[in-house]
Amino acid sequence: MRLEARHYTFIGLAVTVVAAMLVGFQPDVTPSPDTLRMYEYIDSLPEGSIVMLSFDHEASSLPEIRPLAVALLRHIYSKNLRPVGVALLAEGTGVGYGLMRQVAREYDKKYGEDYVYLGFRPQYIAAILSMGESVPATFPEDYLGRPYTELPMLVGVNTYDDVAGVISVADGSFTNHWIEYGHGRYGVRVSAFVTAAMVTTYDPYLASGQLHAMVGGLRGAAEYEKLIGIGGSGARGMLAQTCSHLYVILLIIIGNVVYFRSRRKGGGV
Amino acid sequence: MDVATFVAGVLTLAIFSFLYRDNPVYKMAESLLIGISIGYVLVITWTNSLMALLFNPLFNDGRLWLLVPFALGLLMFGRFHRSTVNFSRIPIAVLIGSGAGVAIPAMLNERTLKQMSATVGPLTTESGFPDISVIVVILGVLCTISYFYFSREHRGVLGKSARVGTWFLMIFFGTTFGYTVMSRMSTFIGRVEFLLSDFLKLTN
Repeated sequence: MRLEARHYTFIGLAVTVVAAMLVGFQPDVTPSPDTLRMYEYIDSLPEGSIVMLSFDHEASSLPEIRPLAVALLRHIYSKNLRPVGVALLAEGTGVGYGLMRQVAREYDKKYGEDYVYLGFRPQYIAAILSMGESVPATFPEDYLGRPYTELPMLVGVNTYDDVAGVISVADGSFTNHWIEYGHGRYGVRVSAFVTAAMVTTYDPYLASGQLHAMVGGLRGAAEYEKLIGIGGSGARGMLAQTCSHLYVILLIIIGNVVYFRSRRKGGGV
Repeated sequence: MDVATFVAGVLTLAIFSFLYRDNPVYKMAESLLIGISIGYVLVITWTNSLMALLFNPLFNDGRLWLLVPFALGLLMFGRFHRSTVNFSRIPIAVLIGSGAGVAIPAMLNERTLKQMSATVGPLTTESGFPDISVIVVILGVLCTISYFYFSREHRGVLGKSARVGTWFLMIFFGTTFGYTVMSRMSTFIGRVEFLLSDFLKLTN
């Protein structure tokens, strides 16, 4: 077994993250204004309000999406809001249903009365526009095959006018479509829980008010967990994230020192 | 330990084995991922799309107008033979035409006009002090746009403005890259947490 420089880099990162996870210490986080805005928005909704959650992500981003979605769902269920789940990406369909059901059990919520999962619809733009005209026509049945009209929670829920807002749980550009078609055409309030990689994409929309609120990445999840007062994967991962970032910074410094020293000597890197 | 957790743990380690080098265990895990993903998407598309939106309403509820999209969909398969390839252009034309009609006004309004309008704000706060954020945004937009103005040589004021524009671009790229690294680290941390807590039972 011959190890190269990149192998040592990976081993160093693995040791850093595993050691940080085993220590179990959770550093304190201060909620950012964006996270606080999302918390206050959910907190201000009247009991019983319908909130549409759109699981617009792939299974591969689950390690980052899961802490975000669980923190959001805990807040929603604890406030006795009623979430309706949909998915614009086929891969997120099962994940969304699993998360809603798992957190619903913690709060003793009943399917059909306290939460509903409508499932996946293809062609995301058509799905968003179609729900603006009629949610029952877009989803004649829920994810489990029950007719829309037989779900007590959805009585009177016909268009976006009947929901308090849409929250896109996304790892890509799908929140854009909610902003462009859901908010732009039907005026529904759109918020987002997104992976860290997408934060800079949606920051301009947040600044312009097209996106009402946004929570991003594992750090956002940790902040949200602190606000709702229930620890989770976000808070548990904060020390590992901090240590791994310090490790990356250290590597960048070492790389630059090696580069400049070798350049001074007139050799290649 | 339940079977699902055991399988997930073994497959996670199999994927991580690529970090050493490409190997058959990694290839097996990768092939499983691709196969299961495609199979899952096919099943979901069949049940949630074709059955729910086409076959059930058409054949069970007798909504005959659905024959139109059904026929357009079938014409797509014309691409598989040279003699019928022209038929596939009809549904493609419908898709492009309707898609552009829906997307252009929405994107123009939401991505361009509203973003432009949000760029320009009052330069001073309510208490009369300069609003640094607004000034930076306006400066950033103008300088970055000037960098992409190629009809004149980047000299003089335009050159300086374009140079400042590149700084703004570098800051944006750096921030985006930093967030992407953070995102990938989070994914790795999530899997490590799973391995330590659910798979190896080393932490709670």
